[in-house]
Amino acid sequence: MKNSRYLALLVVVLLLALIGTSVQAQAPIRVALVMPSSITDISWSQSIYEGLVRVQQELGGASALEIAYTEGMFDVTAASQALRDYAEQGFDIVVAHGAQYGTSLFELAGDYPETSFAWGTATDTGADRGFNNIFAYEAAAQEGGYVNGVMAGLLTESNVIGIVGPVPAGDAILYINGFQQGVYAANPDAQVLLAYTGSFGDTAAAAEVAQTQISAGADVLTGTAQQVVGAIDAIQAAGGLWFGTQADQSPNWPDTVVASQVYDWAPMFRDMIAQRQNGVLGGIVYRLTLENGGQFFAYGNFELPAEVRAAADQAIADIEAGVVYPLAFMPSEIFRVAVVMPSAITDLAWSQAIYTGLTNIQRQLGGTDALEIAYTEGMFDVTAAAGAMRDYAEQGYDLVIAHGTQYGTSLFELAPDYPETSFAWGTATDTGADLGLTNVFAYEAAAQEGGYVNGVMAGLLTQSGTIGVVGPVPAGDALLYINGFQQGVAASNASANVVIAYTGSFGDTALAAETAQTQISAGADVLTGSAQQVVGAIDAIQAAGGYWFGTQSDQSVNWPETVVASQVFNWAPTIGQMIDNILSGTLGGEAYTITLANGGLRIIYGGVDVPADVVAAADAAIAGIIDGSITVARELPGQ
Amino acid sequence: MNFGEILVEALTLTLLYATPYLYSALGELFVQRSGVLNLGVEGMMLMGAFTAIFAIAPAGLGAAPLMGVLLAAAVGALMGLAAAVVNVTLQAEQGISGIGFSLFGLGLSSLLFKVLAGGVIVASGFEPIHIPLLSDMPIIGRIFFQQNLMVYAAFALVPISAWVINRTKWGLQIRAVGQNPAAADTMGVNVVRVRYTTLLLGGALAGIAGASLSIALTGIFQENMTEGRGFIAVALVYFGGWSPWRVMLGALLFSIANNLQIWVQILEVQIGGQPIPPNLLIMVPYILTIAVLIFARQRKRLEPAALTKPFQRGEN
Repeated sequence: MKNSRYLALLVVVLLLALIGTSVQAQAPIRVALVMPSSITDISWSQSIYEGLVRVQQELGGASALEIAYTEGMFDVTAASQALRDYAEQGFDIVVAHGAQYGTSLFELAGDYPETSFAWGTATDTGADRGFNNIFAYEAAAQEGGYVNGVMAGLLTESNVIGIVGPVPAGDAILYINGFQQGVYAANPDAQVLLAYTGSFGDTAAAAEVAQTQISAGADVLTGTAQQVVGAIDAIQAAGGLWFGTQADQSPNWPDTVVASQVYDWAPMFRDMIAQRQNGVLGGIVYRLTLENGGQFFAYGNFELPAEVRAAADQAIADIEAGVVYPLAFMPSEIFRVAVVMPSAITDLAWSQAIYTGLTNIQRQLGGTDALEIAYTEGMFDVTAAAGAMRDYAEQGYDLVIAHGTQYGTSLFELAPDYPETSFAWGTATDTGADLGLTNVFAYEAAAQEGGYVNGVMAGLLTQSGTIGVVGPVPAGDALLYINGFQQGVAASNASANVVIAYTGSFGDTALAAETAQTQISAGADVLTGSAQQVVGAIDAIQAAGGYWFGTQSDQSVNWPETVVASQVFNWAPTIGQMIDNILSGTLGGEAYTITLANGGLRIIYGGVDVPADVVAAADAAIAGIIDGSITVARELPGQ
Repeated sequence: MNFGEILVEALTLTLLYATPYLYSALGELFVQRSGVLNLGVEGMMLMGAFTAIFAIAPAGLGAAPLMGVLLAAAVGALMGLAAAVVNVTLQAEQGISGIGFSLFGLGLSSLLFKVLAGGVIVASGFEPIHIPLLSDMPIIGRIFFQQNLMVYAAFALVPISAWVINRTKWGLQIRAVGQNPAAADTMGVNVVRVRYTTLLLGGALAGIAGASLSIALTGIFQENMTEGRGFIAVALVYFGGWSPWRVMLGALLFSIANNLQIWVQILEVQIGGQPIPPNLLIMVPYILTIAVLIFARQRKRLEPAALTKPFQRGEN
């Protein structure tokens, strides 16, 4: 009786399924960790173990979350066996807590499709090889490293700082790179001594490296991996200071450890568990950052001067907001950037903005020895600009920036001839991917956002009800800004009249002055404008006793009583991301947009005593744009 | 604002912004009347513009505004002297050498700006002077008698130039040298010396024109801030048919066309319900200039016959 056999089979299957679901509902979630060192190493392994224990406590203890771990797995083959054992035993999530375990993990993950694996630090989930049950995670260690570096740079008295590294790879190199950038940003005169022990656990070697650095004059040290306990001991004996990472290292040396960057893995585990319940077994890359709470700072007993603490807090805030971008990579040899721009690096506008971005990154990376900047300014002639770009590419510059929309055609002609050179073009969104180009980055500014904020303030500040806009040409970055500005005025003062006039030039200062005076004659008491020409217009509105709103660069320097606020283009994070990409082998193909939300655009006030309600309206506009409750159109109806 | 008020404001600004054209074009007029084409006005203006702002800015030398103008004139004259050596003594091709001087002035003023100023420097130069009684008159007072010293001086220069050229012995020599240098030479006029002096004067006035841009109109200096105004000045001399009065008319026409197009932009004047594209408006003064040049051919009456022709004794 064939049919009854099928029926019996169906019943059995259904029963099994029922048992399965009921068991799943009651059984604890089982997580296994395989780690290279011990859970008390006060660094790498301890941090993840503690994170998992925190989640266990939240969920109600071992009955809800079962934790198993294997520590001290410096032997990759042994670790591989441990991972397979846990998977075999039916653990839900098996964590391979070490970049070195990756090869083994990819060999076994396919055999256990129901098991979730997690691997760090890594960004590869194996999705392109067909794996769907591997999570990857990494800590943006350069962020906390940067903050530690800022404090170290300010605290050193000898101006010599030592770094005790394990091997130049993974999490350690990120931390070390970020730390150096923080030191240089806070104290360009400081010297950084960097030495690797070649080991993660050789405490004696770390102590020796530390003592050598102390002999060389270092009074502040940092380092990473479980080996560092030896180094902390050495710097304590010498009366110096230590900065920790991965876990809070202050309990044993409370007066020596100033601060520690602490990883908090709990949010990641929470999300992995939630994802599994939704049937997602892998494929997600987690990043521990300052912004998402994956990193926080623990301070020891050392009496940190208030200004140093303030600088650290500012650095944290800047990194969270995207204003400061610690690079993941540091160039091993001098990195050469060339930029071609239409006006002067001191134009208080367009060209100055990119040049300032470059010099900020240069300081962060350690000065002219790390980053060379070559520039050709005043290239209003596109043909001459094309020649300059070709020269730079020919000379082997790593990154050639065409800082002007008008240079695009030349750039696209030139880029295929120099496939090893990376190019950047702004403001633009086209990386030439359609033409098969892979070595061009594009960048632009969402200038309409700051334009809106400026417009809101202008609408509130005008007494005559007339606001003037001195535009260069109705295109590109200037048009975005002006469109945003009009929307901002309309939002804060519906009855205000915005009069717009274009000069047809970017650099004709006298014509900008005349345009401004004409608008003043027409009753305008608040003006704004774009491009390097505006200095003439600012002077005119100052003479008339009115207010000015700037864009591109901070224009209050010369007219502090007239410039209320400027939308400042902060290109440093964009340039930093490009350099990170280039150093990791990606020469182009990405388009960047600086916005208020990602810290690329900032509103900087001048010396005008702005009424509190105007500032509040500006802050509300900024917050609204960032959270999306205010959308600023790039184009106005009819354009 | 009603149309009348707009017109008053437009005319006021027209006079103000015609100032650099007046100085530079009148200077060029002297040079051309003596038979030399100086295309280096642009470069001389730039040097004057930088010199003036650097002289008077607190971040620079901190001198009085008039001193700034004098120094700008001196620097312009120095460049005029160099142009005289090249064009008159060495008899270079005047069109080419003039462009050379323009580029030289652009480069040198940019370099000095970078080295000496380092970035944008600000200076308050000439404030408007309200002439007693006259400035209180309705309309006329606002347009003509509330301007700054540089504006008054520029307009005073028009009749002075006309008088010098038409009524003085030196003016006669200039005209003679420009029309027929060989004949003038025969009559005992030192052709070389006359051309040197006109180039010195032209250079000085170009320098002052630059100074008016930087310290009377804007209060700042920027690289290449003349933006071709020196070449417009040369065109205005042709446009004005080598007569100071007509050069002034040309400067005013160009200036008012430019100011009115700004008004058209800010008043959002529409044609057939459509706003006029700004790029089109910005071209208007230039189109107007070309159109007037085409329809004013009979003005060639005063064109110096020896213009651009180097003089060498025994030739011709």
